[in-house]
Amino acid sequence: MATDTEVLVLGGGSTGCGIARDLAMRGLEVTLVERGNLTDGTTGRMHGLLHSGGRYAVSDQASATECIEENEILREIAGHCVEETGGLFVQRPEDADDYFREKLEGCRDCGIPARVLSGREAREVEPYLADDVKRAIEVPDAAVDPFRLCVANAVDAENHGTRIETHAEVIDLLRDGDDIYGVEVRHDSGPGKRAHGVAGTTEEITADYVVNATGAWAGQIAALADLEIAVRPSKGVMTIMNVRQVDTVINRCRPKGDADIVVPHETTAILGTTDEEVSDPDDYPEEEWEVDEMIDTLSELVPILEEARTIRSFWGVRPLYEPPGTGTQDPTDITRDFFLLDHAERDGVSGLSSIVGGKLTTYRAMAEEISDHVCEKLGVTASCATADEPLPGSENIEALEAGMDDFGLRSPVARRSKQRLGSRAREVLETDAPNPVVCQCEGVTRAEIRDAIADSGSDLNAVRIRTRASMGNCQGGFCCGTMASELHPEYDEATVRSALDELVQERWKGQRHALWGEQLSQAMLNYALHATTMNRDRDPAGEEDASLEYDAFDGGRPAAEPRTDGGKHGRNASRDRGDH
Amino acid sequence: MSDTERPTDDGVPGTEDDEFEPVQVFPEAAEMDLRPGADDCYKCSTCDTNCPVAEVDDEFPGPKFQGPEQWRLKRQDDHDIDDSVMKCSNCMRCDSACPSEVPLSQMHNTARGEYVEENMSTFSREYLRNRLLANYRRLAPLAATFPRTANFVMGLSATKWIGEKVLGITSEREFPEFATETFREWWTKRGGAHVESDENRIAYFHGCYANYNTPEVAKALVRVYEHFGYEVMVPEQSCSGTPMFANGTLEDARRAAETNVEALAAALEDGADIVASCSSCSMSIRQEYPELFDFEDTAAVAENTWDAVEYLRVHEDLEGELAGTSVDSAAFAYHAPCHSRNQGLDGQTIELMSAIDGVEAHDVGDSCSGISGTYGWKAEHYETSMKIGEEMFEHMESAPAETGLTECPTCSMQMEHGTGYEIKHTLEVIEAALLEGDHDADRRGRQEAR
Repeated sequence: MATDTEVLVLGGGSTGCGIARDLAMRGLEVTLVERGNLTDGTTGRMHGLLHSGGRYAVSDQASATECIEENEILREIAGHCVEETGGLFVQRPEDADDYFREKLEGCRDCGIPARVLSGREAREVEPYLADDVKRAIEVPDAAVDPFRLCVANAVDAENHGTRIETHAEVIDLLRDGDDIYGVEVRHDSGPGKRAHGVAGTTEEITADYVVNATGAWAGQIAALADLEIAVRPSKGVMTIMNVRQVDTVINRCRPKGDADIVVPHETTAILGTTDEEVSDPDDYPEEEWEVDEMIDTLSELVPILEEARTIRSFWGVRPLYEPPGTGTQDPTDITRDFFLLDHAERDGVSGLSSIVGGKLTTYRAMAEEISDHVCEKLGVTASCATADEPLPGSENIEALEAGMDDFGLRSPVARRSKQRLGSRAREVLETDAPNPVVCQCEGVTRAEIRDAIADSGSDLNAVRIRTRASMGNCQGGFCCGTMASELHPEYDEATVRSALDELVQERWKGQRHALWGEQLSQAMLNYALHATTMNRDRDPAGEEDASLEYDAFDGGRPAAEPRTDGGKHGRNASRDRGDH
Repeated sequence: MSDTERPTDDGVPGTEDDEFEPVQVFPEAAEMDLRPGADDCYKCSTCDTNCPVAEVDDEFPGPKFQGPEQWRLKRQDDHDIDDSVMKCSNCMRCDSACPSEVPLSQMHNTARGEYVEENMSTFSREYLRNRLLANYRRLAPLAATFPRTANFVMGLSATKWIGEKVLGITSEREFPEFATETFREWWTKRGGAHVESDENRIAYFHGCYANYNTPEVAKALVRVYEHFGYEVMVPEQSCSGTPMFANGTLEDARRAAETNVEALAAALEDGADIVASCSSCSMSIRQEYPELFDFEDTAAVAENTWDAVEYLRVHEDLEGELAGTSVDSAAFAYHAPCHSRNQGLDGQTIELMSAIDGVEAHDVGDSCSGISGTYGWKAEHYETSMKIGEEMFEHMESAPAETGLTECPTCSMQMEHGTGYEIKHTLEVIEAALLEGDHDADRRGRQEAR
């Protein structure tokens, strides 16, 4: 099977989807391929901070300036993905006054609105801040839902004629001499919406121009055509707390260091992060001490975190890059700026550009620059409109918020649903059919689940990132099965079962790093529920190809009081069972 | 957040702000952030299966939604609480049902407070009615001054009709009768305590009902405690706050609680422990005060408050004392109030009664009576209240007894309303057993007054 397109974008993260939207709005014919689901790479594994730029105001003022500009644009065009939380750079007594002053001056130099709060005032804003915090700088940081943002870009690209293929892995770059003219992809279940159990196929997609927007994976893609990009992937851990301890982004005001930010994210708070170089973005150790250290360090700022429940931890890989010869040792010091690598100029191979580095906050500006570049290559004269055109869901947000309609839902459910759906709320939630809450933790109703299924086929993880269903404190224990049954009767039993398996596995993966205290109780209840209602308790250790990764489980944090001794000795207990 | 525009370049640590920026140290209950409490919930739904309202009302989402789920979905600036919180009867059974210590009733109380503050018009009939019911104590002194007139007026069908049509108070129920002499009047006339003791001293929190409506319960408490050699103090007191929590009028509750904590803390200073004869009053002082308020002595008062019968079981050999006593063949259908159950006291009355010769007490099961204070008085909740009570009524009727027994005043109203039985308080039976034939002046006085 072979198809042809004008521009082929590789990578379904925020950058790739942003580029696809930009080019499609300029009238180009675009195809985007993504190995897994949209956001499966770095986009879906970030802390959800929409930078004000304050974070870079001392070390990297160019990035800081760009951040505040894009921050303001995204509030306008992606209002339903952004929560205007505000942010604080909090100084503890042991943090340097000089740096605090530099930060404040840096913010002002970069045009970032900044205001000093006394310790008292900061605690009035955020009552769970430590008693001894000295003072804080208030900046317009915000929280962004990277899933919603990325999907909205993809949807708008599709609305402008783009073909988007998820679960389509690039297995070869097609190169003819010094020209790249397309790729070969392997479709997990054939082209189009994903449906489990459909046999895979391969497809050659030829294009006038190829954009490699695969971030941390850009080196691997380039290598398919014998090109070299020295991406320096750097992992960072993020831990999700069960509830929001803070409603403002809390940054530690000190030069650099791990574990210095808490971002309120939807119903949760995300702690971040660490910075450690890894060799393979698909295979790196996820270690218990990283989680422990982060909770301990951030507890200095927000002491309640010490005892608070975590629901999962995940690691993301930054697509860091620096020009050959820069030779920075510590990944923390590598610039967060992005680089457009034109392989014609760089390697004498035409038809391909790669984009590396950068961050989610500036995805739109990156996409604009790449799109300008592509248009120039193709001799197209069309200007960028992405800074002015709202994303689907963000049109007339103010009018929506003023509207009183709750679509028959209880108030917190209606409120959260409307925030997620933005201007699409009426279209999705207005229904004569019964509309029960499917995910109780996040307040997601059947109507919203069905809307997501219509968009993404039988892939329940794709439904999850569109709706947040199964992302709350039970981590899908109560709703995975119900979500799966919404696939019926459109999909048959076998498809529903494998879709369910895949979602449960994904939810389980992140919980392995949170199994102590309450989340351990939760996991046990989930287990019992799934065992008794769906007979899912076949002991995996008893099966032929027993491949439980016992070492991937954390042993628990010594500081936290486990609810039962099961938390303390979890690792041994599972070992014992596994030996039978 | 301060609205004051301040220059951003002061660059000076904020210590100087102490002078002009007063910070409220203790947040108002309705502004408390209870989201961290949701950490304890693993969504097992045991609270929902134990909720008597959810059992009979499909529209009520249940305590799990009302509490941890709603709190978790909340952001700091959200103030719209779902109106279903007003369907919660505040029986607090969810608290004891929860295997994981989720502060459910605290979440419900604060959510209800916030709902009333933010979403209920202070001119609405519902608000006025709820305040009237919650502040019944404010009307009681007037009624107590002219008890017979009050009883006559309250019993008139015209009064009931107006109550239902104008205020939404159900006309199905008989208003409780006001006693012709309140407990405190009796206490004054009696000359206060008849026993003095430096070692054994209790401060009696009688609450409103035992004062205005059933002084015989309060008198029984005094006589029983004096029988054991205790000096009884009767400090100044206001309503315990229970009906105010249940109606979300937290400011009223705060004022009442402040008065009580102050007076009871003074009694503690005098070497007394605090006892209450009403299970909701003791529940309120022990659990809700420390959950919702932060007055100076809240914790000390809460820690030293007891149910009156529990106190004697712990500090005296009440069962031994009752052994061998007798009461002329009395059979009771006993209902353990939810608020006793929550204090772990649901077994004590049955055990004690079995020690008394001639007394047969039959436990009518662990269902809720359904009235939950002012809840069952509201026209819109009357049916729910009676549906919840059905199980108890049936069990009472099938028990071989024609008299009811309970420690809670509103449960006793419901028991009487559903069966027509006369309802006694545990302390009255204990008094009869211990002091039978003890013809002191108090007792004669009471019999004459009847």
